[in-house]
Amino acid sequence: MLLQINFKSGTPVYLQLVDQVKLAAASGSLHPGVALPGIRPLAEQLRVNRNTVAKAYAELESQGVIETVAGKGCFLREGGSLFKKDVRRKVLAEEIDQAVVHAHHLQIDKAEFLRLAEERFDALEQKRARASQGSA
Amino acid sequence: MMTDHIPAIDIRNLVRRYGHTDAVDGLNLTVAPGRCYGLFGRNGAGKTTTIKCLLNLLRRTSGDVRIFGLDPIRDEVAVKSRIAYVPDQVSFYPWMTVDDTLAYFASFRERWNRDLEATLIGQFGLDLAHKASHLSKGQRTQLALICAICPEPDLLVLDEPTSGLDPIVRREFIRTVIGAYQDGDPARRTVLISTHLISEFEGLIDEFTIIDRGRNVLTQEADRARQQHRQTLEEIFVSTLQPQGALA
Repeated sequence: MLLQINFKSGTPVYLQLVDQVKLAAASGSLHPGVALPGIRPLAEQLRVNRNTVAKAYAELESQGVIETVAGKGCFLREGGSLFKKDVRRKVLAEEIDQAVVHAHHLQIDKAEFLRLAEERFDALEQKRARASQGSA
Repeated sequence: MMTDHIPAIDIRNLVRRYGHTDAVDGLNLTVAPGRCYGLFGRNGAGKTTTIKCLLNLLRRTSGDVRIFGLDPIRDEVAVKSRIAYVPDQVSFYPWMTVDDTLAYFASFRERWNRDLEATLIGQFGLDLAHKASHLSKGQRTQLALICAICPEPDLLVLDEPTSGLDPIVRREFIRTVIGAYQDGDPARRTVLISTHLISEFEGLIDEFTIIDRGRNVLTQEADRARQQHRQTLEEIFVSTLQPQGALA
């Protein structure tokens, strides 16, 4: 898993880490059962404050993406999300609403939007396939 | 984070005059415990004078300074036992070896983490038998950092710590501050860094003040500043002190 910080993006550093770990998990480059880097080594490597890494991990834990095993470190959760289906749907619906608004302002109509969504799903699928080939 | 506690540093209306010049002219600074705080300014902006007044190495002309709620003049011993300082120009007694120097600094301290000392000596590749007078500038800074971190102070003050060092030593320095110093109790390990090499410390800083001519120009949380300006801290620094059109 390669993590990179962009100090120009305007996104808080801890959220960049959260997003990148989530992407790594979704695209298969981070596997359940494999420990995430420890807070100190990751902070040293990225040259960011330890509190930033700790905050990112706490956020990932509260979202149910990772779990902390005492004395062993942080791991991707095997069982998937902690939340009930309707909560998960609601969280995603809010994100989609934003994308729909963006689409409107970019003159992307519904059909094209849905095509694009398909395409992105396929792209992530392919990434996963490549990741599993790479690790096999 | 323990933001509602007594600030690690609280400076109110600090003034320091040299003759007719106000090196520091009504400066305010509040640093919560556990923060990594950047004091940014150009050369001559008043950073070092502020730090020297904070540490009672220089008498303030007026204003109020508190470290952990204590007065660094009246409660000098109590304050100094909880802080450590790496200045921009590091000097040691030239006749002492690295080993002597460490023992000398340790003798002033209640606590001294020997394991950490050994780890850092190894990491920096310093030779204990080497005379201090034979150390390079980078090695002197590394030794000063070891002397500052081993007592496990609650507040680490760094004044232009990496200026004039090569990039490898600079990286190692920052890695050590993040790793070894913050390792203990991150909520209590406070860092104040004065620097104009802002990009080096970008990821470490969580709040900063830009000062110019001894006064505050901008105080902000790093994430918030980047969110607002979509720029790095260094770009924000430049555009704050040199608004567009100023060169025209």
